[in-house]
Amino acid sequence: MRTHRLIATLATGAAMLVLAACGDSSSSDNEAGGSAGPAEIKSSKSVGQTTGPNGEKATPTSALKLSVAEIERVKAGGYTAALTWHQSSDFTTAVTAGAKDEFAKLGISIVATTNANFDAGKQKNDIETVLAKKPSVMLTLPVDPVTTASAYRAANQAGTKLVLLSNVPKGFSQGEDYVAVVTDDLFQMGKQAADALAAAIGNEGKVAYFFHDASYYVTNQRDQAFKKTIEANYPKIEIVADEGIADPNKAQEQASAILLKNPDLDGIYVTFSQPPAEGVLSALRNNGNTKARLVSLDLDEPLALDMARGGNVTALVTDKAYELGQAMARSAAYGLLDKKAPPFLVAPATTVTKANLAEGYQESLHQAPPKSVLDATK
Amino acid sequence: MSVPPTAEGRTSRVETGLTRSVSTRLRGLDPRAYVVYVAFLLILAFFAITLSDDGFVTSDNLLNIVEQTAPISIMAVAVVFVLSAGEIDLSIGSVVALSSLVAAVVLRDVGLVPGIAAGLGTGVAIGVVNGLFVTLLRLPSFLVTLATMGLVAGLARSITDLESVAVTDLTFADVFGSGDVGPFPSLILWTLAAVAVGHFFYRHRRFGAHVLATGDNAAAARVTGIRVDRVKLAVLVLSATTAALAGLLYAGRLQGANYNLGSSDLLLVIAAVVIGGTRLFGGSGSVVGALIGSLIMGTLNNGLILSGLSASEQLIAQGVLLLLAISLTLREPKA
Repeated sequence: MRTHRLIATLATGAAMLVLAACGDSSSSDNEAGGSAGPAEIKSSKSVGQTTGPNGEKATPTSALKLSVAEIERVKAGGYTAALTWHQSSDFTTAVTAGAKDEFAKLGISIVATTNANFDAGKQKNDIETVLAKKPSVMLTLPVDPVTTASAYRAANQAGTKLVLLSNVPKGFSQGEDYVAVVTDDLFQMGKQAADALAAAIGNEGKVAYFFHDASYYVTNQRDQAFKKTIEANYPKIEIVADEGIADPNKAQEQASAILLKNPDLDGIYVTFSQPPAEGVLSALRNNGNTKARLVSLDLDEPLALDMARGGNVTALVTDKAYELGQAMARSAAYGLLDKKAPPFLVAPATTVTKANLAEGYQESLHQAPPKSVLDATK
Repeated sequence: MSVPPTAEGRTSRVETGLTRSVSTRLRGLDPRAYVVYVAFLLILAFFAITLSDDGFVTSDNLLNIVEQTAPISIMAVAVVFVLSAGEIDLSIGSVVALSSLVAAVVLRDVGLVPGIAAGLGTGVAIGVVNGLFVTLLRLPSFLVTLATMGLVAGLARSITDLESVAVTDLTFADVFGSGDVGPFPSLILWTLAAVAVGHFFYRHRRFGAHVLATGDNAAAARVTGIRVDRVKLAVLVLSATTAALAGLLYAGRLQGANYNLGSSDLLLVIAAVVIGGTRLFGGSGSVVGALIGSLIMGTLNNGLILSGLSASEQLIAQGVLLLLAISLTLREPKA
């Protein structure tokens, strides 16, 4: 039972834009960086890119446009939508909020929302159940391309248009079986994490790499992008520990062992923030380690608080989840209008540091940072 | 479970015997034994009224509920035996994943019959391991199956290196979950068969009586000549094998297998069994009740999704309704 909850805290993320923000290396014992002042994050050369499931070229979500006449036509249709998510988290909450706001503009009402807890069997049940309400469109993140495909076939047969987040069911083709797939710019997310960590440690030193040891498109792409970027662009940075996190709740134990073996670590990358990066941060604290800089993906209160207080956390790379939701809703309108949508849409990501915490939260989740974080920055 | 007979033990056995004969007679009159059915009907009626415009009462949706709960219902039948014998099996969720993957891989690489045999064989093997540790080493099943739960989950993750395996054999898919027999979806027939066979052995065969006696008081059961260890081994093999069957049903229904299948099933199964009137600590239970328990869980889930609540609101509402349902059905009378 625990496993799905553990995994259930995953989030997606990515970026088209390369962001130059200020890294925080305010900790005076950041010897590796050689400077106590904030280090500017420089964007390194891109050694890869996010491509669609069938090698499609990425189109930015900003390319989706609806004319006033088109919006009126959608409004007149009295359409309904169902959201069949893979999990519940602040990520899906923000995507849902983005979709809901956009649907409101389009006169589409949301009739059902589900959460599969990463269980393909449950997601199939959820999809079959919501089909009883005959939704016109379905926004969804397929838990697993293989084992959920039959459920999406049923949705197709019922005439429900599909807009996909991140994953594409096996054997599905755009235009016929689904309107579009929307995701984060996963490669850019991993790359921005690499650039942020490199800046924080002065482009040289020893780094531990905690990746997500599961078959999951989103985290796998991001993790590999981080590693590839470090290896290609930062020759003086050495990955001394390559540690797979299979159970995200056990990251603390794994990190303690790595810290014991490598007391002189300069930097740490953790695949996603909650719970593994939180676990790694508590291992650092238990260890009294104030030197190692920590970079992770996705916003999270304890990590943002540590960053605001000038602790180990130096940057959190995050996706624009709210914008993903808006783009999905807009793609749904394309489907309802029988207007051809770009096959593979990516929403940009952003690097959040101490310097741009408030803007980062707004851009990603469309909300202010938690009060504790705001207070700490004052 | 192997409590040495003591003076106190003997007294309580005598008392248990007496109270049971009285309670058996009273059960015919005790409305609480039937409240679970009433609760189920009330939940159905509640959703039928509140969701009359939302497709709840369509035959498709009602069939959906039975089909969707089939793996849970089938596992619940076996878990009635396990709990009644005073044991527990925490490994069933992991067995679902491993057996579905083993079946899918063998099915792809060898063929239909070997695939089914390998899937079910996986369950039997794990059940035997669980059972032997519990009986030969006299270990609590809670800890043994907690250990095998992790072990089996790890094997499921490593067997295909986290990759999902597609099931393309249509015969397999039809038999295990995707097809129909006449007007009935195969999943419903599997469920009915499991419940009928389970009920028959639980209520009308010596095996069921031995299971109950073992759970009620293992030491007493041993004295009366029941081979308690054999009973414990049998129920653990039964539950793992049934979990493997559930794994095949998932693989057939989803036309594929992956390491996460069944990950949310363990608590659902135990909840279904206990709601259905089986005591968590052995000695009494009901197979038909477990089916109703499973349908209650499935109906709640289905109705709350159709009601259009957000995922978080659904969890809250499910908790509240479940509390209501169990307050009605499982309340112990005042001593």
